[in-house]
Amino acid sequence: MAADQDIDQFRHGFQEEARELLVELEAVLLELNERREDGELVGRVFRALHTIKGSGAMFGFDELAAFAHKLENAFDEVRKGHLAVTPDLVDLTLSALDQIRAMVEEGENDAAVDRGACAQILAKVRALTGSADTAGPGNEPDKARKATQPVTEKEAESAKPERAWRIHFAPGPELMRNGADPLLLIRELSGLGRLTAHASMAEIPAIGELEPERCYVCWEMVLVTSAGEDAIRDVFIFVEDVCELAIEPEAAEDGAIRDGATRDGAIREGAIGTGSPAATVASPEPETGAPPAVECAGDVIAKALEEKRRMAGRRATDQPETSASLRVPAARLDQLVDLVGEMVTVQARLSEIAAGSDDSEVLAVSEEIERLTSALRENSMTLRMVPIRATFERFRRLVHDLARDLGKDVELTIEGADTELDKTVIDQLGDPLMHLIRNSMDHGIESPERRAAEGKRPTAKIHLAAQHSGASVLIGVSDDGAGIDGDAVRNRAVERGLTTADAQLSEAEIFSFIFQPGFSTAKQVTDVSGRGVGMDVVRQRVESLRGSIEVASQRGQGTTVTLRLPLTLAIIDGLLVTVGEAFFVLPLASTLECIELTREDIERVNGKHMADVRGELIPYIRLRQYFAVNTPRPEREQIMVVESEEGRCGLVVDQVLGDCQTVIRNLGRLYRHVQVVSGATILGNGKVALILDPQRLVQEAVRSRMQRERVRAQGPPPNLTPNLAREQQSGVPPDGALVEIASNVGAGALASASH
Amino acid sequence: MPVTFDRSAEPGVVRLEGEIDIALAAALKEVLLEGLASAGEVRISLESATGLDVTAVQLLWAAEREAKASGVVLALQGPVPEKLRATLEEAGLERFPFADSPAAASEAQ
Repeated sequence: MAADQDIDQFRHGFQEEARELLVELEAVLLELNERREDGELVGRVFRALHTIKGSGAMFGFDELAAFAHKLENAFDEVRKGHLAVTPDLVDLTLSALDQIRAMVEEGENDAAVDRGACAQILAKVRALTGSADTAGPGNEPDKARKATQPVTEKEAESAKPERAWRIHFAPGPELMRNGADPLLLIRELSGLGRLTAHASMAEIPAIGELEPERCYVCWEMVLVTSAGEDAIRDVFIFVEDVCELAIEPEAAEDGAIRDGATRDGAIREGAIGTGSPAATVASPEPETGAPPAVECAGDVIAKALEEKRRMAGRRATDQPETSASLRVPAARLDQLVDLVGEMVTVQARLSEIAAGSDDSEVLAVSEEIERLTSALRENSMTLRMVPIRATFERFRRLVHDLARDLGKDVELTIEGADTELDKTVIDQLGDPLMHLIRNSMDHGIESPERRAAEGKRPTAKIHLAAQHSGASVLIGVSDDGAGIDGDAVRNRAVERGLTTADAQLSEAEIFSFIFQPGFSTAKQVTDVSGRGVGMDVVRQRVESLRGSIEVASQRGQGTTVTLRLPLTLAIIDGLLVTVGEAFFVLPLASTLECIELTREDIERVNGKHMADVRGELIPYIRLRQYFAVNTPRPEREQIMVVESEEGRCGLVVDQVLGDCQTVIRNLGRLYRHVQVVSGATILGNGKVALILDPQRLVQEAVRSRMQRERVRAQGPPPNLTPNLAREQQSGVPPDGALVEIASNVGAGALASASH
Repeated sequence: MPVTFDRSAEPGVVRLEGEIDIALAAALKEVLLEGLASAGEVRISLESATGLDVTAVQLLWAAEREAKASGVVLALQGPVPEKLRATLEEAGLERFPFADSPAAASEAQ
């Protein structure tokens, strides 16, 4: 049973690794498509395929291993210069990757391997490599070798100085059965530099006793390379446990001499035929300078033993290096973060209780726990932060495929790929980004002819960018296409009754219609998009991540869609404030400072909602008014100055209680349309506090003010949204009801509402 | 079959075709044993082989030794494809079995 579990665990490990490799492979292939002569890229493709094949075979993915092996062979031909990189080969390999992916996932998700497609791919690969085989069985390989070698040598020279390594490699009995091929490993080694290998056939038994699937050959090699020991060791990474391996540096100047010595040894060894195993291990020892055949047996054995000891020592010291990082299932991390979240809540209660007690010891312990919880929280959050690179890189393939299908020439550029985001956010970003890119490719980017006619660069550009902005991450998808036709969108919106023909709308408001369900200005539906489904999905998904979308577009210049997403969905650092009986949390990251607001201050500016902050006038929003809190306002209030895209703005509250770490709870489906509140939290005293989204709050205020001004100028249009209309009539803002919940309802009710 | 023993030829020919890897190792061993046991002279043809892995090389090696010990004449028929030779050389297997046999020596050039 335990063994089964172990195997399962290894299989999962392989699947994780394979997924990553496939993503990398895809990116490298697409890069290769642009730089077809780049030998290093070919090498990377080959190695990635090799790794997938090797570890696949090791963990019982036999079909996958066999399939990847054929592909690997094709790229070996490329590497040797027998086969050229063509768009066909890249496309073929890309579709092969899809099948490999399905093989990796088979049995896990709904992934199904299309065996017919696999066979077709292999047939095409055979056709490609087959023609290369027949092209020149003569001197071709030598020529090819000479053609590729200067590249590796040049690379080596430009990097670190070369040095010689002595490598002893004895595949154990299990190595072949695990799907590894020593010859391929050696070829990989020779890719690192100049390799002189000597194989010892001494252990091959008589043919009658020979186990056909076991490797009896062992190797002594000298590799002159600029690569480090790690790179050499990496070649053997999947077989290290099932083989004998010793890698030792030797003085660089010895390399050439040793090359000769080894070769000499090899020939002698071959001539002797059946040497003892010890002799083969020691044969290339050059210190004596004498050919091995002359050495006396005692010496040979002593050296062999010494070699063994050295190897044992190396193995022991290698162990810690391998555990520098480890893979953990995401679910386990989520569990940890959940627990830490609970802990933060309980700790808040403890602090509250400790603050009310006179026992200094309790207070000290509570403070210590607070410190530890805070550190624990920060640590556990960073565990889930991953760079967005992999998500972005995945789209290279999409852009490549779509560009081919649509007959457009599109280049994808990526910026800020190292920006880190919570894994839960990243996991849900793929779909919206995909829809945005498809939309750009299909509707945004013009055909090459039209681009040429308009004097644009024939190759269109799609740019993916990520950057931090306070507690948010901004993710932009831009294209240099035709831009959005604001009039067309507007007309369509009027047709669909989303607005009236005479409504005064800002550009951003007009563009926001494209996120309406079923909204499309496309005259015909294509395979790619035009059904008006995608953008709606984008909006829903982004909103479920507590994010927002902005669209900027200029006709003829292109479109940029920016997603603003929170860094994390779980916990935030906030400031706890009160308005009347209600508690609110303001995210610390967007809060700049806190200043006092007295009655005199208000009188000084004639009751206008403006505050004088060191000579700068800052507008403010009264939360008391905004949330319709009906308690008398205190003599002194506090203005929390927040940074928003509209500039600095103040939020007026009664009191600032202090900072708090807050576990964000969803408000539940009923309140999903309330945008100014990003969630709620349970305080140490058991009360509920609403977590405000200052960005949205300010936007909302600016928008409703503009609406009011327009209304004032025109008289009320007939179809104002009900909320705004109500606000207009009663002066009561739309979100008042929510605060009643926050101030009246206990924690239990909210907690159950959120589940 | 990628690995066959052709008895009809005179002398008999063990023919290796395509990729000869671990999957064929057991079959190759059988065929070689069959060849060695059949007559006083056996030829091995690698002309149509596109790849040999270690298991194949060590079998050929063992067959050659066996042949020498039992007085069977074992030689190559036709040239060894350059690609095979290059792969084996790279891995330090340059003293290819039968490479110095008279049949191969005349045909290799």
